[in-house]
Amino acid sequence: MRFIKLLCIALTLTVLTGCLDDLKSDSKDLRTDTSTGGENSAPALDFMELTTESETVQLSTELMSNDAVVLYYTMWCPICDSHMSHLRNNIIDNYRNVRFLIVDYVSGTVAQSRNSQVSNGYASLTVLADTDQSLIEQFNATMGTTVVIDDQNKILMNEDYKNGARLAEVLEAL
Amino acid sequence: MSNRRTWVNNALSISALLLSSSTVYAASCCGGGNATSLVLPKFGNQMIDVSFDMEDYKGYWNQDGDYKKDPDGSDLNQYRLNLGYAHRIADNWQASITLPYVWNDNTYPGITSKENGLGDMSASFWYETFDQVTCVYQVNSIADLRPAIYVGGTLTVPTGKSAYGDDATSSFDITGRGLYRFDANLLIEKTVYPFTATLQGSYGKYLERDVNQEYGSPVEPYKKNLGDRTFVSASVGYTYFLEELDTLTFTAAFADLREGEGEIDGVSDPLTEFEKQSVAFTTAYASSDLRWVVKGTFSHALRSDGRGENFPTTDILTLGVSYAFY
Repeated sequence: MRFIKLLCIALTLTVLTGCLDDLKSDSKDLRTDTSTGGENSAPALDFMELTTESETVQLSTELMSNDAVVLYYTMWCPICDSHMSHLRNNIIDNYRNVRFLIVDYVSGTVAQSRNSQVSNGYASLTVLADTDQSLIEQFNATMGTTVVIDDQNKILMNEDYKNGARLAEVLEAL
Repeated sequence: MSNRRTWVNNALSISALLLSSSTVYAASCCGGGNATSLVLPKFGNQMIDVSFDMEDYKGYWNQDGDYKKDPDGSDLNQYRLNLGYAHRIADNWQASITLPYVWNDNTYPGITSKENGLGDMSASFWYETFDQVTCVYQVNSIADLRPAIYVGGTLTVPTGKSAYGDDATSSFDITGRGLYRFDANLLIEKTVYPFTATLQGSYGKYLERDVNQEYGSPVEPYKKNLGDRTFVSASVGYTYFLEELDTLTFTAAFADLREGEGEIDGVSDPLTEFEKQSVAFTTAYASSDLRWVVKGTFSHALRSDGRGENFPTTDILTLGVSYAFY
């Protein structure tokens, strides 16, 4: 039993000394560039993409008739669903002059993307089928990334949706 | 950023391990295989418990509580080796520690990922409100109806790889939640052979933490907390006595797990709120001297609409063995 106790103590010490990363959280700002949107970010480049209903959407065209474009990147998982549900129920209707576009970068084909969109209950939203991942590359995005581009092509926000508060704050200031 | 990185660089299916209660099914007041926590039998001084979980993801419940399948081509799995040790520190007091090691094996459309690492460690203290084993063969008096009641606390320490540390670069790397949590526990168990009934509950609170990176990428610093957690489980069991008083116990359980709204910089974050309901069936063999318990448990998330919310649905097969010293 002495051995077992020593083993447990050794395991505990190993854990506590080897994994300090999450045991002591850090609040320092580690960002070193401004590529994720904000005052000094580069303007958004124009893009053209197919929707799941095979219509063409072009950023520059959308910005001519709207105050901003919002992109939300989904891979149809539980967290994406919670974000999209919140977006639909709490954000979209408050900003009639903002174009909201969902980006499906995981389905691979327009047909599969449409299938995922409908089966998950988002047929009423406009979904872009990013089959070649060009949009995810262009905005250095990932699952849950939310991008806001204003009518001057300025990227106002490029970060995870979290609870949607930051998105609402940015849209409110348009 | 590579395609691979971007495809998987966020929380896809945060493991049910990270969210469910202890998967270690050890002994009970009587020494058999009933309790759903790492509990030292009344007669035991120390106990070692080893179990292995195989968890298979089968879709999820959305925000409205509707069940949704994963995309075609998905095969999401997590395997966990749980090492547990319990020690009697006084007549009615016991302490235990559980350390999981986690393997993630996931296939998502176009993605294959295999990762492993420590999970979140937990340490518990239990107080036994009874002085003698409460299991009886016949009820001859009111006193025979007295259950075994345990009250305790569990501290979960974020020793696993979370989204907020340096080690995880994608959701498929995650083996821990990244936040400390303290749970207050209550376990009530009564055995009148051959029947056993168990009721277990816990209420947990997370400690707020600073976040300045997600999956290795710096983000604007913020404070994050998760919602209060409630876990309730009720089970009934039947014990067969084998030759030389070895026992074979079959147990059926129903469990409800939920967490409330979290917070980001003090602002409510309803998107982390979830609920999961599941059933579990356990078969346990205990040696006549009650030193050895060998167990197998199959836990099944109820996939029908309304049985969960904002949470993956999984099946978990657990195989375990414990040995008590006395």
